[in-house]
Amino acid sequence: MLEYIGLTVVVPPMTSKRTIVLGTQYAPEFACLPLKINIGNFIEAKEHGADTFLMAGGVGPCRFGLYGQLEAEILGELGIDYDALIIEPPDKGIWQFVRRVRKITGSASWLRVLQGIHLGYRKACCIDSLERVVESVRPRERAEGTADRIFKQALSTIDRANNNTELEEAAGLARQKLQHIPQNEDMDVLKIGLVGEIYTLLEPFASGDVERKLGRMGAHVVRSIYLSDWVNGHLLGGFFRRKGQEEYKNYAKPYLNHFVGGHGIESIGAGVFFANNGFDGIIHIAPLTCMPEIVAHCIFPKVSEDLDIPVMTIYLDEQAGEEGLNTRLEAFVDLLARKREARETYRAI
Amino acid sequence: MACKVGIPRALLYYRFSRLWPVFFEKIGYEVKISDETNKATIDRGAASVVDEVCLPVKIFFGHLDWLSDCAVDYLFVPRIVSIEKKAYICPKVMGLPDMAAAAKKDYPPLISPLINNIGGEKDEEYIRELSPYFSCGKKRLKQAWLEAKKEQTRYDHTISKELWIKEGLKDNDSEVLNVLVLSHCYVAHDRYLNMNLLEKLNEARCRVILPENISDEFLEREVRGLKKRPFWTYGKQLLGSAFWFSRMPGRKGAIILTTFGCGIDSFIGNMAERHFKKAGIPYLIITLDEHTGQAGLETRVEAFLDMLRWRRKHYENNFPPYGEYLDTATRDAGIHRAYSCCTSYDK
Repeated sequence: MLEYIGLTVVVPPMTSKRTIVLGTQYAPEFACLPLKINIGNFIEAKEHGADTFLMAGGVGPCRFGLYGQLEAEILGELGIDYDALIIEPPDKGIWQFVRRVRKITGSASWLRVLQGIHLGYRKACCIDSLERVVESVRPRERAEGTADRIFKQALSTIDRANNNTELEEAAGLARQKLQHIPQNEDMDVLKIGLVGEIYTLLEPFASGDVERKLGRMGAHVVRSIYLSDWVNGHLLGGFFRRKGQEEYKNYAKPYLNHFVGGHGIESIGAGVFFANNGFDGIIHIAPLTCMPEIVAHCIFPKVSEDLDIPVMTIYLDEQAGEEGLNTRLEAFVDLLARKREARETYRAI
Repeated sequence: MACKVGIPRALLYYRFSRLWPVFFEKIGYEVKISDETNKATIDRGAASVVDEVCLPVKIFFGHLDWLSDCAVDYLFVPRIVSIEKKAYICPKVMGLPDMAAAAKKDYPPLISPLINNIGGEKDEEYIRELSPYFSCGKKRLKQAWLEAKKEQTRYDHTISKELWIKEGLKDNDSEVLNVLVLSHCYVAHDRYLNMNLLEKLNEARCRVILPENISDEFLEREVRGLKKRPFWTYGKQLLGSAFWFSRMPGRKGAIILTTFGCGIDSFIGNMAERHFKKAGIPYLIITLDEHTGQAGLETRVEAFLDMLRWRRKHYENNFPPYGEYLDTATRDAGIHRAYSCCTSYDK
């Protein structure tokens, strides 16, 4: 979207161990994992020549709203010279947001800016719909990793697309490829709902690749949050209206009756929704000390008990050991499989 | 027989310690406030919620647990979203009633009105929120509410002017140090949780200044200089008082007193720390958790105070740098003057 309006974008290298090490070194100790990774990302982007960072803002009560400010302070203290551009959500409507974007875009024309925003948003939507296909294919594919490879390739072609036609073409092609992956049709696939905090849901490195791991263990994973939902809801103030979109937060009653910032209420709502729609289990992931998700974590046992669905909460921090996570996931998947078996036997009798 | 309502002595009880009990008494309820926090409270709390919540919330659940054994008819667990305009409290406090409802133990029925002042204070809304819980008419509720509010304002007025200072500690004693304790009110006033830190400081001849001693108008003015106003009440209070304190003349130190797992302090404490570093004010960060040993805390505080006294002796010569305000006590007149021109509480 920013390239479309004539800016050079430095995409920080993929989050790696080094990013987290850099981040934890400079971030406050009890800050949440996304902040640490963010700081690491910015330091690495600087090494690749970025001079301005773009950050989304917010007005609480989740800590994310102060990320931009704290990051500017920390980076400034490190002597890393950055111009901070912080996009606050359009709390006074779409125009305020446009004005802020204007500040970033400088001389580009309004039409071009709007087109840019629209294209960026469309890309996010395309990627999300492809991702949903990948999620359903992954457990059934005959050759492990095919879907992921196609998806990765699709990401780069979508990224290169400069207009709607190219985008449609790239997305369409990828979708076709995905649908033609040889699959094991009659496999018994578990359905797992993945809920929790947005960053850990979306960034595979932060979450220890939970989604892919579960897919390989033979589970169809559905996330509660996709990127386009957040861009639309948080950044654009619901500018693009969507039809048939499940509003997860409406399901949260009576377990959680008020929003608690972040995605706490969506986590609970999505959990309830998944439970009512025949999912086998729910995995709730969040960065350690995440305030809204702790509230959700406290409430999940009740949801689990009432709706008879197993819930596992995984907290992630910079010290996540991979094998520990694998073991927990395997045990959870086994448990779900056993539970399904038992239920089917009962039904047969 | 009057209904008995239990109020846990934790979290925002310390902020509204007059408002809530007075309100319930006015409408004819018997009020049972839980005892001060002790070892058992923390143990009970830790057993009834998940491990990851912060210590004050665990203590809150400890108090709830204790109250539910006291044959109360109701528990008062309000859903406090915001207590002032444009600032939230904290996500965990917002979710308290739901967390209590999902707890392992069955508590007595909860009275949990929504308190949300994010768009400004509206008495009518409170009354509407409260009325489903009570059988008495709205008129009576409103009367009780207003009286309770008046009582609370009167109380705030007295504490905002009163520094935490032991009797017998002379105001003009030149050895007295000014120490700002940056902490949320439920940490500063919970004597078990903070291991009597305030009194210990007093005994070590310190004048303790808490964020609540500084009038809201000053805090509001201090945070206005920031690029982005912190959107938490406690964030604003802590940062504001750190800025205000560093501007007052004289040698002084600050203690950032926080609890393990506090999300707000992880950010605000860090910002305050940066500020103190830049301003050249010595500071000490104390993070409290379930396990803290008294001796460790005492040693750290003592060392910190020794360092402050040492600094004062070595950095200050006999020439008064501030004209007539030679010793610390007189310089604190700056502080006292700040109060005497604060008018917001007199309304």
